[in-house]
Amino acid sequence: MTFLMITGRTVNQGVTVEKKTSAAYAEETSTCFMHEFDMLELGLADLDTVMLTGVCGTVVMRAVASGEVEMGTVFVPYGPYANHIIAADTHSTGMPDFKSHEVEIEPTDEEPKSVHGLMEDLGGLAYDR
Amino acid sequence: MIVKDAVCPFCGCLCDDIEVEVEGNRVVAVANACELGTTKFMCEERLKGPILRDGDGWKEITYDEAIRYAADTLLSAERPLLYGWSGTHGEAQCVGVHMAELIRGVIDNTSSVCHGPSILAIQEVGHPGCTLGVVKNRADLVIYWGSNPIDAHPRHLSRYTRYADGFFLENAFRDRKVIVVDIRRTQTANIADEFVQIKPGGDYAVLSALRAIVQGKTETIPRTVAGVTREQLVRVANLCKGAKFGAVYFGVGLTMTRGKYKNIRNAIELVSELSRHTKFTISAMRGHYNVYGSNEVNTWMTGYPFGIDFSRGIAFYNPGETTAVDILARKECDAALIVGSDPAAHFPRRCLEHLADIPVIQIDPYPNATTAFCNVQIPVAVTGIDAVGTAYRMDGVPIRTRRVLSTDYPSDEEVLLRMYTLMQGAR
Repeated sequence: MTFLMITGRTVNQGVTVEKKTSAAYAEETSTCFMHEFDMLELGLADLDTVMLTGVCGTVVMRAVASGEVEMGTVFVPYGPYANHIIAADTHSTGMPDFKSHEVEIEPTDEEPKSVHGLMEDLGGLAYDR
Repeated sequence: MIVKDAVCPFCGCLCDDIEVEVEGNRVVAVANACELGTTKFMCEERLKGPILRDGDGWKEITYDEAIRYAADTLLSAERPLLYGWSGTHGEAQCVGVHMAELIRGVIDNTSSVCHGPSILAIQEVGHPGCTLGVVKNRADLVIYWGSNPIDAHPRHLSRYTRYADGFFLENAFRDRKVIVVDIRRTQTANIADEFVQIKPGGDYAVLSALRAIVQGKTETIPRTVAGVTREQLVRVANLCKGAKFGAVYFGVGLTMTRGKYKNIRNAIELVSELSRHTKFTISAMRGHYNVYGSNEVNTWMTGYPFGIDFSRGIAFYNPGETTAVDILARKECDAALIVGSDPAAHFPRRCLEHLADIPVIQIDPYPNATTAFCNVQIPVAVTGIDAVGTAYRMDGVPIRTRRVLSTDYPSDEEVLLRMYTLMQGAR
């Protein structure tokens, strides 16, 4: 199913933002908040894993039902998981489309990677593993 | 020991009433701060000393070695990018601008991925803003548009708007109305007097509709605009026109969506229309505690607020060309200095793929996502905790942060000055 992915700040993202390699930060920023009817449609229960596919790649997150988002829209706390599939085009403004990305979402058996894992996939080397 | 009136170095509210209890040179308790500020004051997971990437591993090096490595790396680059700057004090930002000019690099700050578009709009139509104190004491109507302060600026509501007393308001909680405009029913929406839920990407249309109603052209408005009924739009416009003093606070919900700076321009022009009927102001909810300062420092030193390219020997500014995401995505820079930010967590993946290909120096107290792309990371004291310096609050008021701990970590300014001195000697 196709969804509009928007990203934004949450308290838990802010609380863990100086501990980016912690499990708590990874857990928060890899959460895909969805409308419960959309989850029903995809056969998802809370914390089931989902594969998000954007124009420049895929990333695995966990789906969580939220009363804050409308059907057809998903909300992901700002961080490395959402950015793994966000395109870098800024339309000559310097600002990517952090809040208006179309993504395909489907259930998956894969587990979300760690932040270290995501960085190493892109050519980095984890320090405090 | 309790340090009173400490300044919180987390968000743009820069709360200056924090009490920090220190025992044995450790922060053991924090009063008055929100959860975000408390966690920052109490965070102890810092890098112990400078680290150097050594093949498939890391090794510890001295500050002298790290600073020499950083200076040499940037000096030998043809198009270095100096990015970040919002998580440090103004004095360090000044050194950064001098350094960028000396090595003919590009200096950009995190506003290019938060309120850069707001600044582009302000450059087009101006900024009718005011300080937070004026809003606290006078505003009887506050609009949060595309911002969610309960999560991102938790004390904004209690210090300045919803839950704050106002000198010119008899009963501020009763007399001050709060309107929230968002595409999500956020926690902030739940405490609003009026919640306007817009369809994603519909902000520009709703702003235009409100402008038309304020101009007396209600008959031109269709039954719904981006999911908002005409009745609600008229009600909101009347609330605005009927207010004695209104304040709009907008977040990245406007700058990161379709239209970007045009949304902000439209919002400013709505405020301009409203100011023909009553007093109205508009300001951005700035994120990092000193992102406003990075715009100030860059502007007074170069004439431009972010994305400044010194490759021509003079300051050149062209957002979309001279901004960090674009430069990295085009694989243009051949070295990067990152100060007080974490682009690996906050930039699109294409930018990270280029960071992996070039030498990267990071000056930051904590191991973060960007650490994985570093050749060298130099830990520093945290401004507002073990370093002092000037930061600018989201309303442009400069506030001197205080030191609550004494550590051996050098400040950002000290490390950058030592790098700059080495570079001056070589040039």
